Amino acid sequence: MNPARTRILRFAVIATVLILLARLFYLQVVDQRYKVFADNNVLRYEVQYPPRGEVYDRNGEFLVQSKESYDLLVTPRDVKPFDTTLLCNILGVDKALFLREMKKAYQYSRRRPSVLFKQLPKEVKLKLEERNFPGFYTQYRTIRSYPRKIAGNLLGYVGEVNERIIERNPYYKRGDYIGMSGIEQAYEKVLRGTKGVKIQMVDVHGMPKGAYAEGVYDTLATPGSSIVCTIDAKLQALAEELLEGKVGSVVAIEPSTGEILVMASSPSYDPDELVGRERGNNYMKLLRNPRHPLFNRAVMSAYPPGSTFKLVNALVALQEGTLVPENTYPCTNGYHVGRGVKCHSHSSPVDLTAAIQTSCNAYFCYVYRNLVDDKKYGGVKNGFDVWRDYVESFGFGRKLNSDFTNELNGTVPTRELYDRIYRSRWNSLTTVSLSIGQGELGVTMLQMANFIATIANRGYYYIPHVVKEVSGQDSLDRRFYEKHHSKVDPKHFDVVAEAMWRAVNVGGTATGARIDGLDVCGKTGTAQNPHGKDHSTFACFAPLDKPKIAMSVYIENGIWGATIAVPIARVLMEQYLADTVTRPDLVQYIKNLQLSYPAYDRKQQ
Amino acid sequence: MTENSNKLTFAGVDWPVIFIYLALVLIGWLNIYAAVYDEAHANIFDISQRYGMQLVWMGISFFLAVSVLLIDAKYYHILAYPLYWITIVILLGVFVFGKEVNGARSWYEFGPVRIQPTEFVKFTASLAVARAMSSYNFNIHRFSSVATVFFILAIPVGIIMLQNDTGSALVYGAFFFMLFREGFNGWLYVALFMLVTLFVFSFWLEPVPLLLLMLLVCIAGEGALNGRWKQKIVYFAGVLLGALGLYFLFRVLGGEISFYAGLVISSLLSLVVVLIYAFRHRLRNVYLFVLLFVGSLCFTNTIDYVFDNVLQIHQQKRILDLLGLESDLKNWGYNVNQSKIAIGSGGFSGKGFLEGTQTKYDFVPEQSTDFIFCTVGEEWGFLGSAAVVILFGALILKLIAMGERQQETFGRIYCYSVASILFFHFIVNIGMTVGLMPVIGIPLPFFSYGGSSLIAFTVLLFVAVKLDSSKKEHIRRI
Repeated sequence: MNPARTRILRFAVIATVLILLARLFYLQVVDQRYKVFADNNVLRYEVQYPPRGEVYDRNGEFLVQSKESYDLLVTPRDVKPFDTTLLCNILGVDKALFLREMKKAYQYSRRRPSVLFKQLPKEVKLKLEERNFPGFYTQYRTIRSYPRKIAGNLLGYVGEVNERIIERNPYYKRGDYIGMSGIEQAYEKVLRGTKGVKIQMVDVHGMPKGAYAEGVYDTLATPGSSIVCTIDAKLQALAEELLEGKVGSVVAIEPSTGEILVMASSPSYDPDELVGRERGNNYMKLLRNPRHPLFNRAVMSAYPPGSTFKLVNALVALQEGTLVPENTYPCTNGYHVGRGVKCHSHSSPVDLTAAIQTSCNAYFCYVYRNLVDDKKYGGVKNGFDVWRDYVESFGFGRKLNSDFTNELNGTVPTRELYDRIYRSRWNSLTTVSLSIGQGELGVTMLQMANFIATIANRGYYYIPHVVKEVSGQDSLDRRFYEKHHSKVDPKHFDVVAEAMWRAVNVGGTATGARIDGLDVCGKTGTAQNPHGKDHSTFACFAPLDKPKIAMSVYIENGIWGATIAVPIARVLMEQYLADTVTRPDLVQYIKNLQLSYPAYDRKQQ
Repeated sequence: MTENSNKLTFAGVDWPVIFIYLALVLIGWLNIYAAVYDEAHANIFDISQRYGMQLVWMGISFFLAVSVLLIDAKYYHILAYPLYWITIVILLGVFVFGKEVNGARSWYEFGPVRIQPTEFVKFTASLAVARAMSSYNFNIHRFSSVATVFFILAIPVGIIMLQNDTGSALVYGAFFFMLFREGFNGWLYVALFMLVTLFVFSFWLEPVPLLLLMLLVCIAGEGALNGRWKQKIVYFAGVLLGALGLYFLFRVLGGEISFYAGLVISSLLSLVVVLIYAFRHRLRNVYLFVLLFVGSLCFTNTIDYVFDNVLQIHQQKRILDLLGLESDLKNWGYNVNQSKIAIGSGGFSGKGFLEGTQTKYDFVPEQSTDFIFCTVGEEWGFLGSAAVVILFGALILKLIAMGERQQETFGRIYCYSVASILFFHFIVNIGMTVGLMPVIGIPLPFFSYGGSSLIAFTVLLFVAVKLDSSKKEHIRRI
């Protein structure tokens, strides 16, 4: 009857079918986005947190333990009426705070869990389980605990990641913990382990519906590896005890390996304070403390080294041939050229050994000036460059590339610096304070201890490091096994070492460090401090042959090297080498010695 | 009845149609099972679950299908009007005895069973229309004849609209498909097509480019018929210059006029020139284009008013969402977005039976009724959904073929009506799940969960099969 129109209608049906097929093909085969959207809908990734690796000292004693802790979560929808007061009592929180947190959880989602309180101890978790509050449940995490309560700055602390860290490193998600300083930061990757994930399917209301793909994509959390530290916990604890009330630091190194035995910085803090719910408040308290307990002075403070630096100048001059040990120079209470350098009274003239023993300032002014002014360099500035090169080869003025974060460069002045300060008009006299470790020098105790270790080793050092062993790894980074030679020939070290031995054992500034049978060698220092009392410093190693420990002590405003730095070093040396303290009176003396720090404490107001 | 005649009852049946029907119903049931699947109620005969209940409806449907085939074809002709009026009365009864579900008052409730009479009216209205149009004095080109048909359709449409079930009312628009076959005025369809196009473009385009586009289409159409392209270019340039002129004239005079207003005035003024031109050259088709242009202009300027004031807010949002003008995935756009995710995530071969997470875990709303196609798309992938689309297309083409081979007008019109209704449901339901149609809550025939819908579509289809088979019977007897 009307074939044309029938054809049109048939065509319309076929066209519709084709359009729908094309659309389906586009949605299902061409456009891949919908698969992702579907996964976003239905998959929920539940993180499995690994326990963080533990830290031991060199003798296997716990320095840091991972304690189980629990976060309390709530799914508001599943909450049944409960005794709020009882729950608050168990948790030990204020009721108002609890209600505030609950309100937040309700606002976030009724069906999805949110974290109410973090880092609850295990006892609380057990009590909660006993009472059974529907809708509330706990999640396993670990927190740090410090059985010895020492080495806070060395070990560092762990904190929750912030937005910046999350942005930089996609491994971290909100709520994760990360090492923020010290070993925790430096060995974060080793300690943290690997998070696992459990992929769950959820329905439109967020209710779990079982494991995705029978769990084949789930991964278990791998616990963090434990670390054995080079630190000697007993010695570290003693060092911290002795430093209490003072501002300063002690670093001790085993010369034959570069292992750091002690790294104490004072004032310190109880590392346990930076764990748990009070962490935020305690952290702010520490941050506001005018003596800066969070500041690791052992590696972050560059001090004028004072007389201990004379050893450097002696070694450089010996190597360059501008000094032989037999050279004698006169000292009449100082060096009286130019502005002059004062000295205390001692016999005159002195040779190198006696100069080190008595810490003669004038002698080293001669040594330094003879060195840099030597004709073979053709000018003081070139001579200065030669000197500087040597100094740097001992590890001064640069990072030692230790496994420790926040290492400071320290400062060794450059020719350009003096050119700027003195408008290029300077000579050996202008810079003569470098000869006695004053002037534009800045040295960290890590660098000084490393230098002493170099003397102990007669010419080389291993990069100082704090980690001895990482479980599951055969060895540390290769750089810790390489000898680093200074530019001074080994043969020149003996005379210096000998002189240091004499300074302690025969007669000199450091006789207070003498311990019978242990052959302590040392060099005191008194760093002039324009802002207050002089700093007391002492660098030493023992025994003279096959040294086992090299140490550097620095006490701010401690006056003479012998006043406080020497006794501290003596007690620590004996403790380490003989495992005893034969002079409890000395310990008492150190503890009783009151030092004042107006420069810090004035700021308090 | 003799054994012989009993055999003959099934002899002329178009078996492919029966197979397509059975295939659709069974695939539909499997997908309902998957959509509401729950490990706790895995027993397929559990009638507390929708798949269990759907089995009951399927049994009733099969029984009725056979019954329909057993009844002599002539009774459908005889009973067309009485059935129509009975269902209209039942439909009206909803206002008194009915129950409101999802904002639509269109259900009867008998204990646990709910019945939606609207579904059955499609069937009786088809019969009534076929009866009216097959009478000897019916003439599609006569107003009174067409009015009768529209009267038959308008009664249920009116009642259903009052029940606030716009989707079901829109289904009656499907009869235009059948009317086209019967020779209804073709221009009406062209106009309808243009209105829809203009409607869509009025949302996609800003007023100025839309007006320019309309102008260009009219000029191009006129040019295609009459030639003289140079004049068209001059004319178009003239209108633009006029608009610019008006725009700057008002500026100079210190007034303010939008470029759009300038363009409207300029083009309307130009129509005077066009009319004189058409009159002089005796080009009658130019009048048509002038009419078209003015009509479009009026339409586009009233459309916003109609859209904002006649349509309900959710209808507006569904249209805006479809046209991609407004995206609100949490509210109005949620259904379609989740539906597209479910279907799109199925991929080429699907996730497998009972593995469809989006439907199983309730991300897709109404996943066993209006959005049942999502389960097909997600679990059976492109292969499965293409198969379903092709089955529907084949069924509709089959019904058209059945209509064409009918010797009686009644049968032809009835078959076409069935094809039209199925086609409308098919295009709208699947179209909405893939985001090509606005969301209109009507079921996918034979697929969606629901007794009323399944039974009504079964009866609707099998009466067509019966009419078709009895025609063959007739031939054989001769």
